[in-house]
Amino acid sequence: MPNSYTPDPADMAQTLTEALYDSFERNLQSARIISESNSIQVGQTPREVVWSLNKMKLYRYLPTEPVDPAKKKPVPLLLVYALINKPYIFDLRPNGSFIEYMVNEGFDVFLLDWGTPGLEDKNTRFDDYAVEYLPRAVRRMLKVADAKEFSMLGYCIGAALAVLYAAVYPQAPLRNLILLTAPLDFSNTDDNIFATWLDRRFFNVDRMVNSLGNVPSELIEFGAKMLKPVENFVGAYTTLYWDFIDDQESVANWQALQKWIHDGVPVAGEAFRQWVKEYIRGNELIKGEHIVKGQVVDLANIEANFLNVVAKYDHLVPPHQSTSVMDLISSEDKRLDIIPAGHVGLMAGRNARYKLWPKLAAWLEERSQ
Amino acid sequence: MSDQNKDQADFDPLAMWKEWQTASLSTWSKIMSETVSSEDFAQSMGQSLDDYLETTTPVRQQVEKAIEQYLQQMNMPSRQEVISIAERLTQLELRIDDMDAKMDDMLDLLKAIQTKLDKPES
Repeated sequence: MPNSYTPDPADMAQTLTEALYDSFERNLQSARIISESNSIQVGQTPREVVWSLNKMKLYRYLPTEPVDPAKKKPVPLLLVYALINKPYIFDLRPNGSFIEYMVNEGFDVFLLDWGTPGLEDKNTRFDDYAVEYLPRAVRRMLKVADAKEFSMLGYCIGAALAVLYAAVYPQAPLRNLILLTAPLDFSNTDDNIFATWLDRRFFNVDRMVNSLGNVPSELIEFGAKMLKPVENFVGAYTTLYWDFIDDQESVANWQALQKWIHDGVPVAGEAFRQWVKEYIRGNELIKGEHIVKGQVVDLANIEANFLNVVAKYDHLVPPHQSTSVMDLISSEDKRLDIIPAGHVGLMAGRNARYKLWPKLAAWLEERSQ
Repeated sequence: MSDQNKDQADFDPLAMWKEWQTASLSTWSKIMSETVSSEDFAQSMGQSLDDYLETTTPVRQQVEKAIEQYLQQMNMPSRQEVISIAERLTQLELRIDDMDAKMDDMLDLLKAIQTKLDKPES
């Protein structure tokens, strides 16, 4: 005779009550964690401003622990981030900061913060950041670091700016160039939702820029989130709720990341217009049709040691946007690394300190003596 | 543990809820991913943005004009005038940065000359 189970109503009621209580506790805890995200401290590695121009600032970072003088690298490292978020993604939290890690590894780390453009900056073009401002920051960095050569790491749109700089200024003393999730090649539109949204048939970039001046950060954040709406609007919170609500370290990381996600900056109107028309729709950089200061930008001018890191599961910058540049540059020492991570997780995820940071440090160390 | 006790221990409403939520989110994620990547969605987003700009731009321009007139009457600078000053400041900063670069070059040159002069002739 089969063993039929009849639940005891009293036990079931008790289990349900406990589950409800647990759920209530989790809801309260989630609400508290979410509401406190904005006040969490980020970017805590000690630093000093060594140069500023308009809204831009160049920071030099100081080690948080004694560094063996023998470990110090003579070639400074310049970090260049995108125009659409703040660069503290490189320095989220103590023990979870790429900058802190690199500084303690003996690198002389500089960060170029583009700042928050105002309406007075609406005429700044995309190229201006790479061609007009970046060289000035490089000059100051070399002076401050008393160095003859430098390394540059560009992340996301910052990588596109770094590539443009390197191609336009082949005489610059750029020894090592690292790109992380570089949006460069827009020829393949199959796996590219952004390109579909920004297609000239559907999106009138002129009307938007002419009307708003600069592109508001809220609009950019909304667009980025709509690429994966369920994951971003719901999944991020259910993960917190179910997976690590009692793990203080994970909660703090989650809060810092949420703060960063919601802490965007507007994009200068002309920079956005140029990015959409010439880089995305025209794919001019990869096609060798982009003109800066009357000269065609030739990616073959890039001869620096080259490390191109691609995130395999990147939905913002699909891998195919980053890989084709490998065939266009002249660097003899070049390497493509595909890492199983997402766009942000690559730099700031729980595994970044094991998967990415040591790899970057080792690659740079070999080439920074 | 008897079967009955095991069944009782397995009854976990939170786990069941989590399982259901994960499954439904996964389904929704697939549906939404297909939706947002379609050209129809791109068209509707573009149209919504156009409609928004078409509606709000004239209103905003009228408000800006009224505020500008008011500020003019109050003998105060308008937003456009402040923006214009900020733009000029940036131009000045660029020129100072250029001069700074030239100064650095000159100092380097002077140091090189000094080093050469200090060096005893062989």
